[in-house]
Amino acid sequence: MTELPAPQNYNVKFTYSATLDSNEAAKTQTENWIAQNYHAVIDMANLDRIGIADLCNKNSVYYVVASGVMTEVDWNVAKDYKYFLGQVGPNDDAEYNAGLAMGQYYKDTKNVKKVGIYGAFVPNPMHVNRLAGLITGLGGTYDGATGAAIAGKITQSVDSTKINIPGITVSYFDGFNPETTFGQFGAIAASQPDAFLSVGMATTFFAGSLNDANIEYADIDSFTADNYGHMNDGKLGYLAGKYASSVGPVWALIQSAANGTPIRDNGKAVSVLQNFAVAKTAAECNAFTEAEGPVWNKTVLDQIISTNEKNVSLASFKTLVENDGKTA
Amino acid sequence: MENVKENENINITPSAPVEEPAPKKNNNARKKELIKRWVINLLPIAALGILFAVYMILLIVNDYKISMSLTAFINQAIIIAFVATGAIFIFTLGSFDISLGASTLFSATIGVIVYISTGSVFAMFIVCILVAVACSLLNSVIAAVFHLPMFVTTVAMLSVLTAVASNIIQTEGSATGTSYAISVPYAMRAGLEAFNSPILKLIVLAVFALICVFVFEFTKIGRKQKFLGGNPICAKMSGISVSIFGIIAFVMAGIGVGLGAGMTIVYAPSVSTTTAGSIGMSVFIAIVFGGMPISGGARSRIYAALVGGTSYILLQNILNILLQSMGGARDGWVQLISAITFLAVVFVTGMNYRTKNLPR
Repeated sequence: MTELPAPQNYNVKFTYSATLDSNEAAKTQTENWIAQNYHAVIDMANLDRIGIADLCNKNSVYYVVASGVMTEVDWNVAKDYKYFLGQVGPNDDAEYNAGLAMGQYYKDTKNVKKVGIYGAFVPNPMHVNRLAGLITGLGGTYDGATGAAIAGKITQSVDSTKINIPGITVSYFDGFNPETTFGQFGAIAASQPDAFLSVGMATTFFAGSLNDANIEYADIDSFTADNYGHMNDGKLGYLAGKYASSVGPVWALIQSAANGTPIRDNGKAVSVLQNFAVAKTAAECNAFTEAEGPVWNKTVLDQIISTNEKNVSLASFKTLVENDGKTA
Repeated sequence: MENVKENENINITPSAPVEEPAPKKNNNARKKELIKRWVINLLPIAALGILFAVYMILLIVNDYKISMSLTAFINQAIIIAFVATGAIFIFTLGSFDISLGASTLFSATIGVIVYISTGSVFAMFIVCILVAVACSLLNSVIAAVFHLPMFVTTVAMLSVLTAVASNIIQTEGSATGTSYAISVPYAMRAGLEAFNSPILKLIVLAVFALICVFVFEFTKIGRKQKFLGGNPICAKMSGISVSIFGIIAFVMAGIGVGLGAGMTIVYAPSVSTTTAGSIGMSVFIAIVFGGMPISGGARSRIYAALVGGTSYILLQNILNILLQSMGGARDGWVQLISAITFLAVVFVTGMNYRTKNLPR
C-alpha cells in the first residue's frame, strides 16, 4: 500500500493498495482497511465488486465504484445497500462509442490501410466494448457480427482471423505477458503500420517504442502530463480520455455521506455516466491536462458536496458530473 | 569381567594415564548440547508467541478493530496452514512439491464448478479433496513408474495443472480485473457464507492437524517416513518401500490441498487464474519458519506447519502495520525483510542439525 500526503483542501487521508490480481486479494485488502478504521473504499479494480460492496455494507464502510460500472446483475443487488453510495464512470455504451469514434477517425480522416490493434486486457468488459466499437468504426465485422453485437462474440478471447475489415490489413494482439507481449508488438512495429490503435494501456507499455519507430498511435487513457508529452513530442495522434481528477465526483459522494447528508437516487445508490473527451492535437490535449490545476478542484467539488446547510440534489450532481465540472 | 580387568590393566599403565574428570566433562557437554537443542527447538514457538504479542500490541496502539484484524489474519493464514500441514509428510521424506499451488488452483476450479452446479458445500469439499488427492497420486505414481525424483514430477505437474485450470477458468468464467475468474453467483453465496466463520475454519484445521499428528507420531507410517527422510539408503535396506510411503505422503498432502482449496472458495467465493499462485512458496517458507529441517527426517514435526504458517503471516502483517505507520512506498520492504528473516531462521534452526551424531 502507498499512502499519499493528505490533500490540503479536505481533512482526509488516502491510501492506495498495491496491484490486486485476484478476488481473494481484493477481499483481504478490504478486510484490512476495515480493520484499520478506514471510512470508505474507492474501487478502481473491478474485482468481485458485489462481494466487496457486501463486505463494506456489513461493516458500515462507504463503497463507491470509480472505474467503469458494475454489471447489471450486481448493480441490482448492491444499489439498495445503505453504504454503497454509487458509481460514476463510463458505461458499456460510452466505452463502445469511445472505440467507435477512434475507428471512424482513422478510417475516414486518416484513411489508414494497415493498422496494428492492441486489445489490452480483453475480456475485461471495458476493453471488449471499446474493441467492438473500434472494429465497427473501421468498417469491420467480427465473426460475422456487426456493431455492439461484436462485444457478445468476444466475451472470452479474440480470434484475430475473425476480424474482417475490408480494405484494411489488421494485425492484432492483446494481454500483457513480459515474455511474449513485446515480441508480438515488435513484429507489428516492424511491419510499419499506418497507425497503431489501442483500446487501453498502449501509452504505458509501448509509447517510447512507438515514438522511436515513428508510428502514429491512438489510445484510450487519461489526460496526463506524460500523455501530453507523447502527443507534443511523440507520435500519439489520438487520445480519448478522462481528466486525471475525474475521480472527484465519487469523492463528493463519500464526503456528502460522511457529512450525514448522502446523495441518493430515491434511497438507492446513484449511477452517473461520465463520458470520454477526445484530443487530436497537443493543444487540445494540453487543455485537458489540468496544467492550471485540477478540473475537479475544491471550488467545483464543493458545489456537489451535500451538507446540513446545503442540500445537493441528484439532478444537480448529475448535471455537473456529465458536464465535466462545468456549469451550464 | 575379563574384558573389564584387561581394560583396567591397560588404564593403570604409565604410558596411558586415565583422566578421571573426563566422563564428567562429557556429561556437561552433553547437557549443554541438550539444552541448546531444547532452546532451538522451542525457538519457533517462542517466536510465534512474541510475534503474536507484538501484533496485538500494534493493533491496540493503532486503535485497529481487533475482531476484524484477527478475522483477516485467520483468513490469510488458514489456507497456508491446511496445505502446509499436509505437505509436512512430503517434506519429511526430504522431498519437495512445487505443484502445491497449482494443485490447489485445479482442485478449487473443479470444486467451484461443482458448487455452482449442485449448491452443496459438502459435495464441493469432497470433490476438492478427491481431485487434490488424485493430483498428488498422479505425482507419486509417475515418480514411481518412471523412477524419477518426486520433485521432478511435481515440476511437470505445476505446468500441466496450471494450464488445465486456466483453460477451464477462461472457458467457464468471465473477466475480472486483468484476469479471468469463475465466481459463485451472488444468490448462491449464502450457502458458503455459513462456512466462512473463522471459528469453524479453526475447528476443521484442528481436526485435520490432530489426524496428521496421530498418523505421524503414533503409527508406523510416520516413523518409517522419518526414517526414509533421515537415511533413505538404510531405510530401503531395512525393507521400507520408498514408493509406498511416498504415495502415502502425497495422499496426506492431497487432503491438505483439497481442504485448502475448499476454504479458498468459501472465502473468495471464486477462483481466478491467479488463485493460490504463491501457495507453494508460502508453504515452503512456513515449514522452515516452523523450525523443520528442509532435508526432512527424524526432526520433522507436524506443528512446524501450523507454527510456521502463522508466524509467517503474522510477520507480514506486523511489517505492513509498521511500514504503513512510516508512510511512503513500502511494498518491496515487506518481501525484503521477510527474506532476511527467512535466512536468519534457516541459520538458527540449522545450528541444531550441524552435528556428527544421528538425531535421537
